[in-house]
Amino acid sequence: MLKPLLNVIDDIGECLIFLRLILRTAYRSPCTWESICEQTWKVSVQSTPTTALAGFFVGAIMTVQFTMQTKAFGALGYLGGLSTSATVREVGPLLIAFLLSGKVGAYTSAELGTMRVTEQIDAIRCLGANPIQEIILPRFLGIVISSFFLLAAGLIMSIFGGMLMGSVFSGINPEEYVRHIPTIVTQFSIGNGLFKCLVFALILASVCTYKGYSATGGAKGVGRAVVGTAVMTMVGIVVFDWFTSLLSETALNLFREGV
Amino acid sequence: MITFRDVHKQFGEREVLKGITFEVPEGQILFILGTSGTGKSVLLKNIVGLMQPTSGQILVDGTDVTRLSEEELFPVRRKCGMVFQHPALFDSLTIFENVAFGLRKHYPEYSAAQLAERVRECLSLVYLSGVEDKKPQAISYGMQKRVSLARTVAVNPRILLFDEPTTGLDPVTTRAINDLILELSRKLKTTSLVVSHDMQCALDIADQIIVLDMGEIVARGTPEELRKNPHPLVRDFLKEALDAETAS
Repeated sequence: MLKPLLNVIDDIGECLIFLRLILRTAYRSPCTWESICEQTWKVSVQSTPTTALAGFFVGAIMTVQFTMQTKAFGALGYLGGLSTSATVREVGPLLIAFLLSGKVGAYTSAELGTMRVTEQIDAIRCLGANPIQEIILPRFLGIVISSFFLLAAGLIMSIFGGMLMGSVFSGINPEEYVRHIPTIVTQFSIGNGLFKCLVFALILASVCTYKGYSATGGAKGVGRAVVGTAVMTMVGIVVFDWFTSLLSETALNLFREGV
Repeated sequence: MITFRDVHKQFGEREVLKGITFEVPEGQILFILGTSGTGKSVLLKNIVGLMQPTSGQILVDGTDVTRLSEEELFPVRRKCGMVFQHPALFDSLTIFENVAFGLRKHYPEYSAAQLAERVRECLSLVYLSGVEDKKPQAISYGMQKRVSLARTVAVNPRILLFDEPTTGLDPVTTRAINDLILELSRKLKTTSLVVSHDMQCALDIADQIIVLDMGEIVARGTPEELRKNPHPLVRDFLKEALDAETAS
């Protein structure tokens, strides 16, 4: 009973130590811009079609859901603003994080795990290079940076999805749909979405690089690393979603009281 | 020169190395033989700090490497080149980039032309040409092993460490790799430490041989001395080598 709990705490602790090692390497001996750009490009290109498609349908789903409520209150004009706000503040960052976790997180931990079990990481060390600087840091930063690009792509597509569904299902034209977006989607909503996106990306990047880098035991070990990445990122993202929501609400209340 | 002084290595309850003591004089080839799981690879990884012994000292040219940090190990790793059991080539890079990897780290002053020249030179040392633009997965396993050797010697190490360099290879490639080890060691005047199962190869090219069993040295000496050693494990290894010789 106690042992699995201790294992989880142990895992979280080691992941945090690994994150500190990455950040210290970033400060003391940063990697090249070329390697960061290469990884950012790779992650973005790999995930843009899936994110865009998912974003489109999320916009459409939000519109369908909000149509019923706004119709009941005779506020159909606010449909675009409400569904976009929900996507920017909550669903968008969460969706991007889950998609990246399944695709990029699994890929990265499998890639690094294979490098570990086939002694490629030991070879890097023996050739006088620092594996954290050479292979971990570019991947870590690549995932974090591309998360923002993917969030933007997903949000744009969600507006298109919402507009289409607004016309087809709710009977409001695209111009009416976007009119109240600036009214409801405030700077605070955008900041909240960006903050969540950053936190989720940090969780994903830390967990997948840590799990891959510390893989042991051949092909089975790589499999374990991939499964471990999926479980730890999903749970971490959900827990931190609650935490960041709470933090944002508290910040917003303090701001309102101050005003 | 490499010196082991009473080196112990423990994984949990299991003691893998039990008080290993030996010395490899400069310019010599030392073979470490033993059955699987006797701690041969562990012994090799301790030299370059990929693992740390539980107790004892390992001296590389007089420097005790056992308590050095990752940064302090860089000069030691600069002296030692390690060829792993797997080719351990970086599969996202081409053969050229693989061989050039260490060169870019150790010789940042090299121009692109100098780098290309050195890569070609090292690949020709292992009898490879025209593979520079290929990815590791596009060449055979034997060729990958040779590229791994080229990558290691590219940075001019003074000590070469081979971890089962011929495992998984056919007899012809095994012979070619063994010849390469001897040739490179003599040509580059390096001190070489080879972990292997291959007694025949050890008898052919080693200056000294050590036989490990259950983490302990059970026999040591020159190939001639080993031929006369009565230890059962040594006799088993010799019998296998003689059988192979007779068959060939």
